Amino acid sequence: MDEAIETPQKTFTCQLCGLSSPFTYYGQKPPNTRAIVLLEECFVTKDPFSPEKDKFLVLGSTCSLCSLCVCVSSDCSLFYTKRFCMQCVNKHLDQFPQQIQAELTKKQSSKAAVS
Amino acid sequence: MDSDRRRDSRSWDWDSPQCRSQLDEIFFRENDYIRAGSPEHKEFWAFFDRFQRFKIKREMSGSGFSGEEERGGKDKKTGTKDLGLPKEYDARYRINVSVFTRDVEERMGRSDQRSRQRSSGPGSQEISDFRLALLHFLDFSQKQSFGKLAKLRREQKNLPIFQYQDRILELVRLHPVVVVAGDTGCGKSTQVPQYLLSAGFSHIACTQPRRIACISLAKRVSFESLNQYGSKVGYQIRFETTRTTSTKLLFLTEGLLLRQIQQDESLDQYQVVIVDEVHERHLHCDFLLGVLRTLLKQRPNLRLILMSATINIKLFSEYFNSAPVLQVPGRLFPIQVIYQPIPPEEQASRSEKLDPRPYLRILQGIDQRYPPEERGDLLLFLSGVAEISTIQEACQIYATHTRRWIVLPLHSTLSLAQQDKVFDIAPPGVRKCIISTNIAETSVTIDGVRFVADSGKVKEMSFDPKAKMQRLQEFWISRASSEQRKGRAGRTGPGVCYRLYSESDYNAFAPYPVPEIHRVALDSLILQMKSMNLGDPLSFVFIDPPPSSSIQTAVTYLKQQGALDNRSELTSIGKLLAQLPVDVVIGKMLVLGSLFNLVEPMLTVAAALSVQSPFLRSSQQNPDCATARQPLHSNHGDPFTLLNTFNAWVEVKGERGGGSRKWCRRRGLEEQRLYEMVNLRRQFKELLKSHGLLESEETAPSGGDRAKRRERLTERRKLHQLKRDHEQQEGSKRKVLKLEEGQDGELSGSGSDTEERGRGRKDKKDRKEQDVDIQEVKFKLRHNVSELQEAVSVSQDLSSRQQALLKLLLCRGLYPQLALPDEHNTTRKDSDQVFHTRSKQGVVIHPTSVFSSDPEVLHVPEADSRDTGPDRKDSSKHQLLAFVTLLETNKPYLSNCVRVPALQALLLVSNSVDTNADCTRLVVDGWLELELKEPEEALRVLSTAISLRAEWERLLQAQLGQNQAGEASVQGLSRRNREKLSENLVRFLLYTEVVYSLQRLTALQTQNLYVGPQPESDSSYAETPDLSLLFPGADPKPDPIKGGLQVTSFFTYNCLTDSKDLYSECLRTFWSCPNCDLYMPLTPLERMHHEASCRPAGEKEQEEKESEGGRAGSSSMSALTRAYHCDVCNEDLTLTSTEILKHKRQHMYSAK
Ligand SMILES: [Zn+2]
Ligand SMILES: [Zn+2]
Repeated sequence: MDEAIETPQKTFTCQLCGLSSPFTYYGQKPPNTRAIVLLEECFVTKDPFSPEKDKFLVLGSTCSLCSLCVCVSSDCSLFYTKRFCMQCVNKHLDQFPQQIQAELTKKQSSKAAVS
Repeated sequence: MDSDRRRDSRSWDWDSPQCRSQLDEIFFRENDYIRAGSPEHKEFWAFFDRFQRFKIKREMSGSGFSGEEERGGKDKKTGTKDLGLPKEYDARYRINVSVFTRDVEERMGRSDQRSRQRSSGPGSQEISDFRLALLHFLDFSQKQSFGKLAKLRREQKNLPIFQYQDRILELVRLHPVVVVAGDTGCGKSTQVPQYLLSAGFSHIACTQPRRIACISLAKRVSFESLNQYGSKVGYQIRFETTRTTSTKLLFLTEGLLLRQIQQDESLDQYQVVIVDEVHERHLHCDFLLGVLRTLLKQRPNLRLILMSATINIKLFSEYFNSAPVLQVPGRLFPIQVIYQPIPPEEQASRSEKLDPRPYLRILQGIDQRYPPEERGDLLLFLSGVAEISTIQEACQIYATHTRRWIVLPLHSTLSLAQQDKVFDIAPPGVRKCIISTNIAETSVTIDGVRFVADSGKVKEMSFDPKAKMQRLQEFWISRASSEQRKGRAGRTGPGVCYRLYSESDYNAFAPYPVPEIHRVALDSLILQMKSMNLGDPLSFVFIDPPPSSSIQTAVTYLKQQGALDNRSELTSIGKLLAQLPVDVVIGKMLVLGSLFNLVEPMLTVAAALSVQSPFLRSSQQNPDCATARQPLHSNHGDPFTLLNTFNAWVEVKGERGGGSRKWCRRRGLEEQRLYEMVNLRRQFKELLKSHGLLESEETAPSGGDRAKRRERLTERRKLHQLKRDHEQQEGSKRKVLKLEEGQDGELSGSGSDTEERGRGRKDKKDRKEQDVDIQEVKFKLRHNVSELQEAVSVSQDLSSRQQALLKLLLCRGLYPQLALPDEHNTTRKDSDQVFHTRSKQGVVIHPTSVFSSDPEVLHVPEADSRDTGPDRKDSSKHQLLAFVTLLETNKPYLSNCVRVPALQALLLVSNSVDTNADCTRLVVDGWLELELKEPEEALRVLSTAISLRAEWERLLQAQLGQNQAGEASVQGLSRRNREKLSENLVRFLLYTEVVYSLQRLTALQTQNLYVGPQPESDSSYAETPDLSLLFPGADPKPDPIKGGLQVTSFFTYNCLTDSKDLYSECLRTFWSCPNCDLYMPLTPLERMHHEASCRPAGEKEQEEKESEGGRAGSSSMSALTRAYHCDVCNEDLTLTSTEILKHKRQHMYSAK
């Protein structure tokens, strides 16, 4: 048997929340997606929750401003024509449309209420 | 403005199926990301409807997506850079996916020009509306899946073991052996393998004591590592595997890993071995630890991780040279312990039924103290099935009265459907009361239990080596089990544990349960140790060595079974048996069956005897079931009833497919067991093939039937889809129980179609899918029904000859498990029939056996018998029972019995046959005495048996030897011999009409059985050196203990006390051989020997050819001549033994 320890899989790790998961593809055109194109370079894996084989799942991408590697969770990043990490969103909150600002304030206040 | 446009679009109706299918054709084609007809496609249209409704609502309320003007750019602060975001808000900017549809639009344009369908097709507005909905759908499903992933990661992080990840990996890198100890819920079983994987280890084996755990852990871990459809995480259990070459982590049973070590001594295929649940101390686990301990010396880079509950950790650490221990706290909620010992007046004495009052008080107490809105079920631990039904009955009355409880039993002899009910949900205001054996202590985990009531008792199987009997006895549990039971109350929230014993009782309990290795028969273990060259089992370093008497017993048993020789080395059949992952007895049957043309029925019987009985106990009393079962019964024995049942089931499967479920229900059969049988059967067949014991059939599929093959392929694809769908749904479909559940006994569970479904979102279609019989689907995927039918038809309607032979093979397989009917059975009631084994007197037949309802077939027919004294009957029709198990519960019971003709069977299978001088008195295995009337007949029957056995042995050895050498089979040559032998065996079994009496020896008789060794000077031994020449191959010599002459390994002549002198001339009678021209006065022994070696001329030639064919005629009688040096004439001669005899006699007479 070959005793060498195999190189670990390529792993995506969110630099904000620490979520980590192996990814199988990085880019804008995951395999077997036909007409579908991603509008940013993403870390992609096979969707483990779909019974079908060729479904993909976007794990995250890099912040268009600070290049931080972030997951797509709404706690960590936001996509609005581009990907922004939550740190950058907060820094530039005023430039985002009203809807988004309102949403974020609402979320923050509800979070505060919980903790 | 959108709405204006929409009004314009001509006759476009989003709800019309035609319109939708036009879009399907554009967006959801065969190769598209979403295919029309797929589940996702259905989801899309459901989403689409919601999306449209949402849009309309938005429009109506006037707050359209694009309604408000953005202030974004207006009050820009100095120093910040412009992000360049669009001025106008649009939800679609939040989606990071786009659907590239230029080709679609081009197509649209073309079809515009070509046809006038334009009016009914989707316009560009519809296309763009649709595309928008699709984008939102894709975004939505991404969010959904990512949400699941995030939740999963959160849960993993919250497991107590998570913080120890780095520490564990560090320990594993530094030490060859690491002990990870953690209680229920700490996550060790699912997480540790994943930590290893993510750290780059591959080739990881993780053993489990239970098969079911292998499957569920493999599923769980592969899910958690997001590799559900890959093959990097797999499982392998007896006869089933998902392992591939890319498997990095394999869950397997302890027994299976042992098998792998047997094949691959240094276990090079693994880098890391995890042994989980070591604290359970199963036989295989203890042994495995011993083997791994030895193996570590050869493989210093192998990593071993032991995982255990926090029980007796020191033991494991010390066994492995003080291996480091990592303790992980469990995750249990606080549990209040209430000691409620049973008052003396309610304590049942041994014979009485359990008093239900203490248990009822617990139910009442819960009702009084806890409001019904507060959820929480009760789990009640009792020792056994009888106890469960007593308490169940009482609790059910209370439950019917209060309407606040649903009472459910749980034990392994229930049907699976019935067992499965404990996982269903009680309706609001009602609690489940699950009354269970210790199966719920570790093997079965039920969520939602808040109360535990613990009787403190357990029934455990132990092996009594003296009586050669399994015994099911009730014991107090250990403190460890007690804690384990308690813990079941605190899995989902704080709980309460009622102990029906006092705290001082608890303190007096043993700290740990008795490990299995101290309780059970060690036959298989010793056999396996022998085949692994582990040396003397007595000196092997076990973690907790079994008593040496237990090892001795096993060695003796294996010798009796012919798996070990006198020097305790493996025989050739023993070597093979050690390779087969089945019980020694079953393995023997398979090997024997393969020799004759009885493979198919033997495969079925072997499989049937290896699984739990398909006949449900609960339906025993049901007269309808009994009637429906009647045609399946065979009064030859239970194995034949099982054979009939299996054959009939396969027939039903072939004709009606899924209808077999109903067929089984009507007969009170647990179909699951039949599925297990059919799988096992196939695997046995493969085993025999791989050991060269079965010719592999040439199953070249007839090329012409391409259409048929395609049909089968399509069907398989469909079946696979059904299986996948089923797996998808699994787990998410717990039913809500009805209050009436359990009220009308165990059979009520069968028609579950009326039960409501929990968690409202399931619709009718789901229910229909659920009705798919997944077992039937799996069956069809795994087996070719028509092939199976063919195989089975071979074993259907066995001729009486085949039946007789099959019985003999079963008997030889089961030997020495034989029982003698008591001589007074004819005068007893059916229910009082008594039997005796060699080591246990007064056993009865289990009520499930066919002989318990039909014992007359075991009686000696009056017409055929003569009473020749007290307790003594002369007949030619005596029978014995060969049985699979002897188990003592309240009585010692025999189960799975088959009846065999006594004299014939004993002569053909027993290990020791002793005779007097004229062979009219035979003692078999030192406990059965047969007295034959006619010396002439006695001699004939004995001599036939001896030559049959010799031939049988020769063919068996040839078959085994040939396969071990891996030679191409010389099947053709031996087939004729085998047919001949089976012919002769059958004739012997069916047409031997010798009158004899059959009885057990009394204790006194046993003491004075043998003449014992004779002094050298004794005149009757003067001729002994000559006699050794009479028996070629065998080495006949005076038996040093019994006296007399040991003729073959099983036959000792003239050693019984009433025997006359060995060669007294008065025993010689004139005899002429039918095969040669010999005519002379011979002693019985000489005559028998002559018969054994003198064959008809035709046969002789045959044999000579055979021995020329390569295989030197081994120990058998086939070597007809030998070099003989006669001292009298001082000449070297080559003579057959008969010729030597004649030659010697010549001198003898002339000398006198
Ligand atoms: Zn994150
Ligand atoms: Zn950023």
